[in-house]
Amino acid sequence: MPDTTLPQTALVSDPHARLAAQLKEQRLRRERLRNGAAYAVLILIALIMLYPFYWTLVTSLEPTGNIYEAKILPTALSMRNYLEVFSGTTVPFWRLILNSVIICVLGVTFTTVLATLAAYPLARMRFPGRDLIFYSILILMVLPNESGLIVNYITTIKLGLLQQTNPLADAARQYLAVVLPGAASIVGLFLLRQAYLGIPQELIEAARIDGAPELTIWRRIMLPLATPTIAAFAILEFVAYWNSFLWARVMLPDKNMLPLSAGLLELSGTFSTNSRAVMAGAVITIIPILIVFLMGQKYFMKGLEGAVKG
Amino acid sequence: MTTKGRRVSRREQHRIGGTGASVTVRNTLIAYAFMLPFLILLVLYHTWPVIFGSYLAFTKYNIISPPQWVGLANFRELFADEQFWSGLRNSLKYVLVVPVIQVISILVALLVNRPLRGIGFFRTAYYVPVVTSFAVVGLIWSWLYKQGGAVNSVLMGLGLMRGDHSLLDNPATALFAVMFVTLWKGIGYYMVLYLAGLQGISRELEEAATIDGATRSQVFWNITLPGLRPTILVCSLLSTISAIKVFEELYVMTPNGYPAGSTYSALMYSFSKAFGGDFNFGLAAAASMVVAVVSILFGLINFSLTKGGRSDA
Repeated sequence: MPDTTLPQTALVSDPHARLAAQLKEQRLRRERLRNGAAYAVLILIALIMLYPFYWTLVTSLEPTGNIYEAKILPTALSMRNYLEVFSGTTVPFWRLILNSVIICVLGVTFTTVLATLAAYPLARMRFPGRDLIFYSILILMVLPNESGLIVNYITTIKLGLLQQTNPLADAARQYLAVVLPGAASIVGLFLLRQAYLGIPQELIEAARIDGAPELTIWRRIMLPLATPTIAAFAILEFVAYWNSFLWARVMLPDKNMLPLSAGLLELSGTFSTNSRAVMAGAVITIIPILIVFLMGQKYFMKGLEGAVKG
Repeated sequence: MTTKGRRVSRREQHRIGGTGASVTVRNTLIAYAFMLPFLILLVLYHTWPVIFGSYLAFTKYNIISPPQWVGLANFRELFADEQFWSGLRNSLKYVLVVPVIQVISILVALLVNRPLRGIGFFRTAYYVPVVTSFAVVGLIWSWLYKQGGAVNSVLMGLGLMRGDHSLLDNPATALFAVMFVTLWKGIGYYMVLYLAGLQGISRELEEAATIDGATRSQVFWNITLPGLRPTILVCSLLSTISAIKVFEELYVMTPNGYPAGSTYSALMYSFSKAFGGDFNFGLAAAASMVVAVVSILFGLINFSLTKGGRSDA
């Protein structure tokens, strides 16, 4: 097809150059068409993925109107539902936020410290039983653990974590009861072991020859060099603890101790007269996870890939 | 992927064994000291549930009095209970989501693997549902599914639905409505894994094939797809097992198998026997055990369908 956009040099007498330029133009046009189609599909999927969140945000900001209908813009804006969520219910929303924060801090600290410690000997020390422990953990990862909820509930009670003595100790024990079952993370152990294995042996040897204790080697060499993996794992764990709801709901008798996700369900159950306030609660629940995810996204994706590759 | 990783790490282990600190009582103690807190919690919350749960399945137990051995009585009760069978059937029906989610995730991964401007935004957008709790996601979708809600207006706009009634209130559609949410939430997760898999396939191989005159679809079927086989195994294994164990999304969106038990899953049965008021932990453990066995069986099926995840490329 003769085209005015062809470069002038291609219009010279050489028919081969002309043909080549035409083919190139054709290919470019096809490429543009294909990219356009790709963008159309990408945008369509993005709409399907994000609209539910957008709809929740918009509806939570509306004071009145037809609540469940599909909408693009809010009919009116008001923070009433957000105030309502904090004041208008029997569920203390501030307390739920505090619970979630405490559970996340405890959970992320425990899991990362335990995994970074335990992975060190498995990756970098020689001792009897190392392979046995490593392969036992491998098997545990594959074995289905459906009884987890049932037996862990029994264990929690037998450990006395739900005992009632005084309010402060009760609260501390209940937080522990939520956090402990997930604190030994097999995936974390794998990720960290893999990261440690990538650290040059010479560094460790040199430190050992200099007489550094293993704890110092771990703290001064392993931890700094494994920081990207540790960050990835910490974000994974933050997301997991922030989002967990079932275990806490099953186990905690005191509704004031629930984390946000679990409390939100409580809210929607006992507070069905004002769905907009529940939507406001949902938005508040999502925001921290979005912030953490967007900030640590690069690490997060890496950690996820590593978790599956083992 | 897996075999290669294992080979490297074994050699690595050997190397450590050769040059690392020598085996002494002191070093052994230090090594175990590092692992002790982890191992205690591991045994308590991971090993013990497997052991004690298997034992409980053969007992009558309600926490108050000690477990009482009853042999296969729990399993007899289970298999005589139509409610359990219906739960198991629904759990197996849920496996239908697996091929759909895998095919879509592979297609989406191929799409976002293109070097387009702004592709990072789309990858992130598709991942947002993954990082959101089932509690929140379940609530949002149960609102969207309401009568007069967004889903209905889209479906009616497309002419796919006549009367305006909630899909979650209809026993014929409720399970599928929840399945769609599982699909929606899971695509981003598998997309990232497939993206990693795609990046592991050698570009040169694909380019060489193209130069030799292979069409796009030939390249896909003969190079890309075989190269993805290890990832396909991992992903389909993960999604099959979580489909059989489906619970949280059903728990939030269709409590107690609503409507009319049509969304009752096998694990929901186990859950309600333990925590639904009658504290029948023995029966609940037996139901869990059946779910575990079924998911192992499906895991094996996955292995054979993907030829053990060996890539020919």
